[in-house]
Amino acid sequence: MRNSLHKWILGVAGVIILAIFPRLAGIYYTNVFLGFATFALYAVTLNLQLGYMGVLSFGHAMFFGTGAYATALALTHIQGFPLLPAVLVGGLAGGLLALILSPLLVRVSGTAFAMLTLAFGQLIFVLALKFREVTGGEDGIGGFRVPPLNIPGMVSIDMTNQINFYYFAVAVIVVCLFILWFYTKTPFGTLVVGIRDNAMRIDYLGFKLPQTRAVNLIVCGTFAGIAGAVHALLQKLVSTVGVLDIQTSFEPIMMAYIGGVGSFFGPIIGSGVLRLLEDLVIRFTERIGLVNGAIFILVVLYGPTGIVGLFHSAKAKWFHKEKVS
Amino acid sequence: MSPTAVLYVAQAFHGLAYGMLLFLVASGLTMIFGMMGILNIAHASFFMLAGYFCYTVMTLTGNFWLALLIAPVVAGIFGILTERFLLRTVHVQGHLAELLITVGIMMVILEGVKAGWGTESMIVKIPRSLDGLISIAGLTYPIYRLFIIGLSIVILGFMALILFKTRLGKIVRAAVSDADMVSALGINTPLVFMLVFGIGTWLAGVAGAVAGPLLTVFPGMADQMGLDAFVVVVVGGFGSLFGAFVVALFLGELNAYGIQFIPRLAPVLMFAFMAIVLSFKPMGLFGERE
Repeated sequence: MRNSLHKWILGVAGVIILAIFPRLAGIYYTNVFLGFATFALYAVTLNLQLGYMGVLSFGHAMFFGTGAYATALALTHIQGFPLLPAVLVGGLAGGLLALILSPLLVRVSGTAFAMLTLAFGQLIFVLALKFREVTGGEDGIGGFRVPPLNIPGMVSIDMTNQINFYYFAVAVIVVCLFILWFYTKTPFGTLVVGIRDNAMRIDYLGFKLPQTRAVNLIVCGTFAGIAGAVHALLQKLVSTVGVLDIQTSFEPIMMAYIGGVGSFFGPIIGSGVLRLLEDLVIRFTERIGLVNGAIFILVVLYGPTGIVGLFHSAKAKWFHKEKVS
Repeated sequence: MSPTAVLYVAQAFHGLAYGMLLFLVASGLTMIFGMMGILNIAHASFFMLAGYFCYTVMTLTGNFWLALLIAPVVAGIFGILTERFLLRTVHVQGHLAELLITVGIMMVILEGVKAGWGTESMIVKIPRSLDGLISIAGLTYPIYRLFIIGLSIVILGFMALILFKTRLGKIVRAAVSDADMVSALGINTPLVFMLVFGIGTWLAGVAGAVAGPLLTVFPGMADQMGLDAFVVVVVGGFGSLFGAFVVALFLGELNAYGIQFIPRLAPVLMFAFMAIVLSFKPMGLFGERE
């Protein structure tokens, strides 16, 4: 009872903070926050693979990038394309790519999975780079207008206003995160964790392993695509370096690991910590990657459970309430 | 020979030179994978590191041969330190952590060379004795590329000799097939691992040092070579040296002729080839295990 009250208070506080954030922080930090939020969603989808399913994807950017490109292409080429379908088209594209690749990807796990995803991620990156008629090559696609949000018969909200766009993007991301959180709590989500812990046993219990893996992959691809779509709308520019390159694939891995793999909120915390860190580090040195890489190595070496794990073990140590798992 | 035939033969040699370099990098990668089960994402970073060391030694002493000797050894020492202090520490956490830590190492090396040497590409001069063209049977060809092919063959022969004719080679081959069993027989496998990791990075270092004059030294040189080597290892079969050799040469030729005939799709060819092979043989062409 007390616990659920805590959750309600936290939830209401979160909504209030999100609501007044643009007024408090100003337009620059609002955009920084949106950048963090899109990557938080993106990192959560990666963690559904890494933490919940136990497979490491080195090509996760392909879903993110495909979503971003799909949205950008739809907005550039189709006159008067509405806003919500533009976001959905990104998710659809990511999910479709996952569906196409799933027959190959669900058969392998461990290192082989990491390598296959790396290969396909790279394949898509090179394709996007070379087919410049469609994708604009290195220049990418830019200059599309963010359409207004139309609710037929009611209102039309101008999305070129950054504050309005902030509320829209945050709403999309929070809804997606909630769906994903709910997804992990469903029996199917439990099944996914079961496959991570003991695939053979799940198999013997009569569940279909490849199909379960495929569905999880498609869910991850879809929501990574939506994250990419929001990213495209936020930046108003989609180019291969930035949404499809290997760095974009590694970033959510770092976020998930720093925040805590296997915990739903870990990647969100990791994403926030990494963004804050970048904002801090860039004042002293241009070599953000060096600092990030060093921190990542230290986390893998000494704190493999991440911030969430450290928090839990500290809580257990000081309050003797929970056992360290 | 007719001009077209000359062009084809020259292209074949281009492919061979690149394929040999590729194999030097990939052989270390596949051996490390076979023995330790680690896919070393940072492997090509050592290749790049050796390229930079080669450049630095060249500017300091002006002697290419000295650079060729020192740069790979320094890269190998870096490799040994990496294995001893980073990989061995996370070994207890399993393969995922080992894979991840190599990603971290890759990022640190990449940013490290950017901080140390800058981001623009640097040209390593070909020594005068290897500069210029040579003419064999109506075919003029750069001596330096022939030198790369020759050097690779010599090193490969030497490595094959160690691997197949010495006791150390026997231990390494046994450890590739079953490291636990070798350890149970009383052989100090951590030491063997360290040694193999060092030799693997040294091989990548040799490739990096000789590739300096050919590809120029720049922060992106690890990406290209790393992905190619990675495709070689995956397609050839994890841990299979023979597979790596065949596929490296094949990819070298595929690259060379791909650039000549369909320049736009040349980089895609390689990954398409890999996707096709993996669709039918998930373990690679010559691999037996995952």
